[in-house]
Amino acid sequence: MIDEASIREALHQVVDPEIDCNIVDLGLVYGIAISDAKVTVTMTLTTPGCPMHESIAWGVRCAVLNLEGVEDVEVNVVWDPPWTTDLMTSYGRERTGVL
Amino acid sequence: MPTKRAAVADVHAPSVALPLQFILTGIAALLAASVWLVVRPIILAGYHYSPEVLAATHLFVLGWICSVIMGAMYQLVPVALETRLHSQRLARWHFALHVTGFIGMVVMFHREDMKQVGHFGSLVAIGVGLFVHNLARTLARIPRWNVVAAGIASSLCWLSLSILAGLYLAAAKCWSFSQFAPLAQLHAHAHLGGLGFFVMMIVSVSFKLVPMFTLGEVQSVRRAGWSLALLNAGLAGAFVTVLLSSPWKIIFALVVAAGLAFYGLEIISILRARKRSRLDWGVKYFLTALVLLAPVLVLGVVLAWPGLPANELTLQLETTYGFLALAGVVTFAILGMLYKVVPFLVWYASYSKAIGQSKIPALADLYSHPLQAAGYWLFLGGLLTASAASALGHDSCVRAGCVALLASFVVFAVNIGMVLSHLVRPRIEPLIAHSALQTNTRPLP
Repeated sequence: MIDEASIREALHQVVDPEIDCNIVDLGLVYGIAISDAKVTVTMTLTTPGCPMHESIAWGVRCAVLNLEGVEDVEVNVVWDPPWTTDLMTSYGRERTGVL
Repeated sequence: MPTKRAAVADVHAPSVALPLQFILTGIAALLAASVWLVVRPIILAGYHYSPEVLAATHLFVLGWICSVIMGAMYQLVPVALETRLHSQRLARWHFALHVTGFIGMVVMFHREDMKQVGHFGSLVAIGVGLFVHNLARTLARIPRWNVVAAGIASSLCWLSLSILAGLYLAAAKCWSFSQFAPLAQLHAHAHLGGLGFFVMMIVSVSFKLVPMFTLGEVQSVRRAGWSLALLNAGLAGAFVTVLLSSPWKIIFALVVAAGLAFYGLEIISILRARKRSRLDWGVKYFLTALVLLAPVLVLGVVLAWPGLPANELTLQLETTYGFLALAGVVTFAILGMLYKVVPFLVWYASYSKAIGQSKIPALADLYSHPLQAAGYWLFLGGLLTASAASALGHDSCVRAGCVALLASFVVFAVNIGMVLSHLVRPRIEPLIAHSALQTNTRPLP
């Protein structure tokens, strides 16, 4: 049975290599929708035109596909609402030195 | 690698080999030019209108600066502006023409064979034509124009004019048809390239890169736009007045100064509003380069002052002005950005397919931070020593400064070598559970 908690745990393994922090603690994951064996991850990036766009989207797809019971993954990268540091967790702030 | 349905969203993916070719060529030219300066410090300690100075300058400008900027632009422009490069095939032709052309130019300048300089310069010009065409076609399909795109388009125009002015200079030397003073033509050509292409490019891309690396954002698009507009207007006027040796060039020097003042204010605002408190060495290199714009600007205004006597000191100051602009501002900025671009290219080639599935290094893990710091201080010390010695025409002190600069560039090359080693031996390890990671991982130093 797929659940959101296990997907979030898997997404902790996807690290933005420039900032060196995982995308969950960076607050980049906006939503997770599960429909049977298909998972849709709605997320953003720290800046439009981020050079890591494809790599991070690929990492998200792979990390979720590795979970038992997941057959298909859709990654939607959106820019609205724009990312702000308010979305980061305390761990993310501490790790990246965000004010 | 999962076997279920997965594919990379290959929207703006860069070709790693293409920019790396240009960048590695640039680093080789940087080391060669530095060794040349150590062996022949008279290049900086003497009068700058000589075949050897022209040869060394073109090795530095075309071999180092242009190679790296062009390579990085093939990578950054499509990514930063969210589009795709028009043609990689044209870019490969550009590389072949560029390398053949600039090496030939350097050799022929040294031999004082201006006819052959013109021939090899034509190869460089054809390459630049392909480069400008390629990027113009790329810019033509970006989804939305902004201050970054406008600045890049401006810099491409100035680059084209600079190359045409260079060819005109070579032709005028061969056939003596020009009515302009040779030194005035040279200075006008140098400003088109140095201020129009290099500084304009640095200013433009920094509106994207500084916010990206500091987690900030442009604070005033209007102010950023004014900085570009004033730079463009100032340079257009400066080119004409320098070419005509007109006393009005001071007006346009002040317009350029106003543009850079707007730019400086915007960068300070971005940094004040940034979310990331720690600045890494790459960003520190880049920001130091921007600080160095101030003394270059002061020197530029002084040298443009009407009625300034042409004595030994002012002639040396012209050399110092060019050196500080090219080796200080432009080179420092490029080194800083290369600490971002090269690790990204290598990481992309070696690790992007393993993200989320294996433990892979972050970009900052690919190189040595102590070496970065050592390179920074060596560079700054060497630059200030060589600049002061150049102004005073002191041969031995120029050499001492250039030795420090060379040491800094060797340190840089070693660090880049460490980054490139990940292409040959990627460090991929099994994943650690996230909960364990949080418990064991301290905040980054």
